[in-house]
Amino acid sequence: MNVLVLSGYGINCENETLHAFEVVGFEGKIVHINDLIQNPKQLNNYQVFAIPGGFSYGDDTGSGNAMAKKILTNLYDQLIDFSLKDKLIIGICNGCQILINLGLVPSLNKKDPEVAMIENKSGSYECRWVDVKVNNNKSPWLKNISILNLPVAHQEGQFMIPINLLKSIKANNLIGLQYINNHKKLAKGQFPFNPNGSKDDIAALTNQNGNVLAMMPHPERAFYHYHVPNWQNNSSKKFGDGYKIFMNAKKFFA
Amino acid sequence: MTNTIQILSIEKTGKESSLQKEHNNKSIKIIDGYFFSTNLDDQKFNKISKLISNYVSQTILTKKNVKKVLSSYSNFNWVVEIKFLPGVTDNIATTVKEIIKDNLKSSFKSFELGSTKIILIKGRKEDITKISKNEANPLIQTIKIYPFKQYLNNFKKNQFKIEKVKLPKKKYSKKEINLDISDHQLSLIGKLGIEENDKSRRGTLGLDLESLKVIRNYFSTIKRKPTDVEIETLAQTWSEHCKHKIFSAKIDDIQEGIFKKYIKGATEKIIQLRKDNFCVSLFTDNAGGIEFNKDWIICHKVETHNTPSALDPFGGAITGIVGVNRDCLGFGKGAKPIANTYAYYLADPNKKYQLYRQKNNKDPMLSANFIAKGIISGVRVGGNCSGIPTPQGNVYFDDRFAGKPLVFCGTVGIIPKKIKGKLSHKKKANPGDIIVMAGGRVGKDGIHGATFSSEELDPNSPVSAVQIGDPITQKKMSDVIIRELRDENLYSSITDNGAGGLSSSIGEMAKESGGFIVNLEKVPLKYNGLYPWEIWVSESQERMTLAVPPANVKKVIKRFNARGVEATIIGKFIKKDKAIVKYNKTEILNLDMEFLHEGYPKLNLKTSFPKFKKEKKKIIKKCSLIDKLHKLLSSPNIVSKEFIATQYDHEVQATSIIKPLQGEGRVFGNTTAIKPLFDDEKSIALSQAAYPQYAETNPYDMAGCSIDTAYKNLIVSGANSKKIAILDNFCWCSSDEPDRLYQLKEAAKACYDYAVAYQTPFISGKDSMFNDFKGFDKTGKSVKISIPPTLLISSIGVVDKISHLTKMTPDDGDILLVLGNTRNELQDSVYSKIVGYEKSKNPVVNSNDALCTYRNFEKANKLGIINSAIGIDLGGIGIAVTKMAIASKKGLTIDLKLKNKISVDQFLFSETPSRILVSMKKNKLANFKKIFKGSDYTIIGKCTGSDVVEFKDNKKIIRSKISDFAKSYKQNIKGL
Repeated sequence: MNVLVLSGYGINCENETLHAFEVVGFEGKIVHINDLIQNPKQLNNYQVFAIPGGFSYGDDTGSGNAMAKKILTNLYDQLIDFSLKDKLIIGICNGCQILINLGLVPSLNKKDPEVAMIENKSGSYECRWVDVKVNNNKSPWLKNISILNLPVAHQEGQFMIPINLLKSIKANNLIGLQYINNHKKLAKGQFPFNPNGSKDDIAALTNQNGNVLAMMPHPERAFYHYHVPNWQNNSSKKFGDGYKIFMNAKKFFA
Repeated sequence: MTNTIQILSIEKTGKESSLQKEHNNKSIKIIDGYFFSTNLDDQKFNKISKLISNYVSQTILTKKNVKKVLSSYSNFNWVVEIKFLPGVTDNIATTVKEIIKDNLKSSFKSFELGSTKIILIKGRKEDITKISKNEANPLIQTIKIYPFKQYLNNFKKNQFKIEKVKLPKKKYSKKEINLDISDHQLSLIGKLGIEENDKSRRGTLGLDLESLKVIRNYFSTIKRKPTDVEIETLAQTWSEHCKHKIFSAKIDDIQEGIFKKYIKGATEKIIQLRKDNFCVSLFTDNAGGIEFNKDWIICHKVETHNTPSALDPFGGAITGIVGVNRDCLGFGKGAKPIANTYAYYLADPNKKYQLYRQKNNKDPMLSANFIAKGIISGVRVGGNCSGIPTPQGNVYFDDRFAGKPLVFCGTVGIIPKKIKGKLSHKKKANPGDIIVMAGGRVGKDGIHGATFSSEELDPNSPVSAVQIGDPITQKKMSDVIIRELRDENLYSSITDNGAGGLSSSIGEMAKESGGFIVNLEKVPLKYNGLYPWEIWVSESQERMTLAVPPANVKKVIKRFNARGVEATIIGKFIKKDKAIVKYNKTEILNLDMEFLHEGYPKLNLKTSFPKFKKEKKKIIKKCSLIDKLHKLLSSPNIVSKEFIATQYDHEVQATSIIKPLQGEGRVFGNTTAIKPLFDDEKSIALSQAAYPQYAETNPYDMAGCSIDTAYKNLIVSGANSKKIAILDNFCWCSSDEPDRLYQLKEAAKACYDYAVAYQTPFISGKDSMFNDFKGFDKTGKSVKISIPPTLLISSIGVVDKISHLTKMTPDDGDILLVLGNTRNELQDSVYSKIVGYEKSKNPVVNSNDALCTYRNFEKANKLGIINSAIGIDLGGIGIAVTKMAIASKKGLTIDLKLKNKISVDQFLFSETPSRILVSMKKNKLANFKKIFKGSDYTIIGKCTGSDVVEFKDNKKIIRSKISDFAKSYKQNIKGL
């Protein structure tokens, strides 16, 4: 099992993302986008394509846009091809924004991006821990998970979805994760449980096959128990909730 | 055809909401504009628009739709157009250019573009003027205000304009400077700069008459006139900023100066006493390095960026943070930045100080809240975009920072001890090595930064001293260095380009080889028309200088280029002790290295005992104990700084182990920790402390308190006392006045005494000596505002085991104890400022007692006796107790039956240093007592687990709900 973790132009979570994959049993490599453009065929060697978090191009022209345009210009067909195979793609935070800008998720009309990521309602960057519930159990990434405690860290984490599209996203069951409050009920937009004001408390979307996951929270930052806030009160476990996402990827190929 | 692309967010953005709220106006809309130097045909317009916008969330404005689209939002009538001044870094424009070039490839080659923020409002002209003042800084941006009708007209007629840097085409001819002139003329060169042919002056050199005379003598000995480049270079190299002349000067009877005697002296003494390998690299490199474990070194550096932040808060702060990141990249062979720290000392953002640099209300200082907000966001963008966590920091407010804010930015780095078998902290540019400059291009940015930051802020402070950071360019460069060059040992030495630019970086590195020859015409420029001296001293950001063996040069440059980073050969290092600079083959600088670095006249300073301003006795306001606690909790220097912690990404790199917000109740901690390696459970604990409020009363004790608290916080967090190092950042004022120098000497002496007592070495430091504002108030009266002397001590320590890391949240049934003695030390305390005080003393550190507490605490913590702990700091025991309750959401009962002759208020609010509030399970008490036999502690109560904090006096019980305390503690800071 091999994972390709993308890097370059301000992506910055590649080390910890690769580490998480490695711990659950993957072999992997961090590949600079320019090297991938030079030699796209190397994608054949990998089963998982991960776009980690970061600040590609400093969020200029909208988070994820510039990197998405670079991929669109140079790598789009190869990535579509990858997504149509029995392989997995994950975009975390900035990676999520890139996948959304590429239209790989929710990918209902396959042509143009259908969803936009816009600025948090609070108008400011939000680095905080949230609870999310899994809505779509059919995605291999999210199988057998109910609730996750994960950190978010973003300025533009609000999913903006036209009403009609939202209907078909729901009909197709493509909402991956939703923010919930301290009573484990949907946050209903309430800050800080829903940190960005996302409609329907959406924290992640998948494509129709469920093999492509675009999520705003960072599972790789909730990997070990000591990542979790106030872990000293509950230090018996070895891993945090983020571990489950990476384990699911392993199980998919096992 | 059109020359502009303008993009509108369909829904209200967060920024628009906050503007609408701030200005109480629902009709505000922001447009992202791009102005092109050429006209775009329809095809290009459509293609580019699609590339740089999102059609789901945004609308593209066109000649046809603009009126209709905008009228659906409001009847706008005023517009402000905010653009960067020509030559100021425009990061968004750079990205857009890159997207276009990548996508349109060769079909669209030569064009310029600039990004613009256009704000539309419905309202009066005063309203738009007010908004423009809050949203733009005239120092770096042009602000055009005009009626909405004109905006529509501009659209129709393609009248949006981009301004390019238009420097007169000048042919350079070598300029020699005649120094055989009167003393008056000579000092004008120092103060106002070299005179151009048109009689204008280049801007301050910061050279005093004596230095200029030394330069004159040198050139008369070698029998020629100096060139302008030589004088500029000497001014940079000899600046206070680079040479720290005050710290190295003879002062009273201290021949070797206070740096050598007290700071370096302390470390040397400690190394001699300790006989271990903890200290790896001290004072000589860009950062200080200590041992982390057997394979890794960590380094730490803290910089100040005060003057730039006063002029352009956002730009000053962002360059501050990305600048200090480069100090880590330039440590040894290049350390990877793994954490940022910050500390801001600011004026009250809710007050209007109305200060002017010139008479008649001209050239106003930026408002305190503009400065505060700009600084906070500058570090946010710099840190977050670079992918470096920013967990550790603090903010302090005092009116005396109204003339100059203090902005401390720090970075911790990590590097393997050995790279390809060679010690990584050692580097040496060898004769014959090629000088490669990598990263950003050179413009007029920050010309004279080093010389002017050593001077007081006055009307002649040059505006070109402002720079804007570009964290993404730096991130790209940093990734290449750390991942693709360093571990193959492809270069022999590396350093960053900070103050003084190439003149400083190459000058410093050449000390390793002997000398250098640089060909300035090779340096890539942002725009044409720079004079050679400008290229040589420019402080354009995001650049590193590398010494590369000739055999590796091709490889190095190729690797940079493959990652979209520019790298250029600009000269070579030589063996001869000569500094040589050429421009198109003309030699324009040729100095002896010895003279360049050591030729400056040494100062001879005298101090005199100042009249300490005693805080006037203030009558104690009558209010209840609970009221006092609420007042203190909500005061700006104690209130939670959560709003900063949540906007600074402290989770990136997945290393955060003790976070800035602690406990379920999210209390802003004074210490944080990161676990930098996946395969080692060791962590790095970070803290910092400064007490400007204590400085005027007793600078010695002030410095003692800073060291004690910075050290104590790490002990409390669980760090190994033998693995704690500290950094000093002196920010002083009027350092040419004997009484200020006296305070400096006293503080430095305390640094020696306490560092040696605690055996915690200084590993790095930086000073900033003239933090004064000279100008006028609104009535035209001249004013001078000096900051209170501020010594920031940053501490970095190693925590050996995860189980040693402490928390601040007690559990039900825990006993509460205060470790250390509480004295009546309310002078200059937060309490005295808010409530008043009668007779009291200033806080003093007794290092013997303190060490006794710390050693015992460390022992008890390792044995698992301590359940929770918090360092007692501002606001004393009263605030520490309430913070514990807020963090844990668990009630506490405090017993106020006091043994010593001390009043309840003195006991609860005194700021006596070296104390720790701890909790432990009842059954651990016996063991605790054994360890703490002979050292001071008091049992003060217990954790009840209820929802109230109770204070039991003999007669009565006073209580308040934790949630009420939390409300006070989490209040917004007015003006932010």
